[in-house]
Amino acid sequence: MLSRNFRLQKVGNYEWLKKNYNFSKISFSIDELIILDVSRNKQGTEEFYEYVGLLTEECFVPIAAGGGVRDLEQARKLLQSGADKVVVNTLLVENSDVIKDIVREFGQQCTVASIDVKKSDSGYKVWTHNGCIQQSEPLEYWIESAANLPVGEIYLNSIDRDGTGHGYQFDLIKHIPQGISVPVIMAGGAGQYLHLNEGLNHESIDAVATAHLFNFVGTGLKNARIELIKNGHDLPDWDVDLASQLKNILSS
Amino acid sequence: MNKTHKVAVIDYGMGNVWSVVSALKYLGAEVDLVKDPDLLSNYRYLVLPGVGSFKKGMERLRQGALDQAIVDCVKHYGANILGICLGMQLLVSKGMEHGETDGLGLLPGVVDRFTKTELQGNKIPHVGFNAIKISKSSGLFTDIPDYSNFYFTHSYRLLATNVPVTRSALCSYGIDFLAAFEVDNICGAQFHPEKSQTNGLIMLRNFFKYV
Repeated sequence: MLSRNFRLQKVGNYEWLKKNYNFSKISFSIDELIILDVSRNKQGTEEFYEYVGLLTEECFVPIAAGGGVRDLEQARKLLQSGADKVVVNTLLVENSDVIKDIVREFGQQCTVASIDVKKSDSGYKVWTHNGCIQQSEPLEYWIESAANLPVGEIYLNSIDRDGTGHGYQFDLIKHIPQGISVPVIMAGGAGQYLHLNEGLNHESIDAVATAHLFNFVGTGLKNARIELIKNGHDLPDWDVDLASQLKNILSS
Repeated sequence: MNKTHKVAVIDYGMGNVWSVVSALKYLGAEVDLVKDPDLLSNYRYLVLPGVGSFKKGMERLRQGALDQAIVDCVKHYGANILGICLGMQLLVSKGMEHGETDGLGLLPGVVDRFTKTELQGNKIPHVGFNAIKISKSSGLFTDIPDYSNFYFTHSYRLLATNVPVTRSALCSYGIDFLAAFEVDNICGAQFHPEKSQTNGLIMLRNFFKYV
């Protein structure tokens, strides 16, 4: 499994993840968990579905998962393995009818279009196929076509900023067409709470995502959430101890 | 094993059953995924989960002959039912998603899409954690303070008007809509308790202990 922030650095397999990241505990500092399979080859395998289920055990937050989803059955598999939403990326350009099928079967709220963006000489361009193929149309075009399908949310990720910790590529906001009615999640580049804060302050951004290792190991993410709440952002505050007291309460 | 907390999670192929089962198991309930309508009457507790469209949901229930089985269990055998998200919507008489469709009709009510006027500029789907206003902190809402957060993701809503509820919670998203309710042995939540951290776990516990 590759970490999104160091795309080409192998950080470990499932056992490593389970040992180093306590997702159940992390889940109390987030509103949603996004799990992406960014393997260079063999995406969307049975093994990945299994990981989604195992990693999210005792995580009582929404889980979006994807990476290599190409058909309705794969989407169904993910949803049966613990995901609540299916993240699509390449399908948007390759076969958007499949996304429509997923919407028809599981509803609009069940789909997240992940749009990977990279700056080029001719402006911002969308990259698909795990960030390997550049699309010629402008960014606006792909945001609009995702919103019109319609997907439930758009996950707007800056490839340039991803993993840098230097902050979001707010320039991208200008390219979100007026009147887009689906929520937009900003991703790529957050390295500290101030970045998250800045993102949430933008009117056209509905949510902020972070994959920065700094946030996952130690108390970075927890502290970031506390700071955001202090800054007046309306985020729920969970009682972690009470949740552990509820364990097995019905069997006693 | 405490048989009173044996629960059937109705499996009709609509969405995130895994999450619902995992939350119920965490609480220590004895959970079975049930597809067979003949087995439903063995359970005192039923959970009807589901994400997806109203039309598709009803089609699936009918195909599996689960619609009548659910109604029988709830109306004649007194089983407690909790509908979650689409599952809550299916409990009422009618849904308008992808064409008008009859629901299970356990309660009167029509599920319709948020209108532009209702939304007052809010986006749909309504996604994310939102606070609910609770009429009475008892029954299904025991130990849940007013303005607690729950996770929503939906574009269709049930309004509180003309649904006769004993206890209810409203959520405001441009307009106040029915976030959760309890009427005798029938409970519903538009939000996902299985995705609402501690608050959701408390509500799921309440379904077994206080309804």
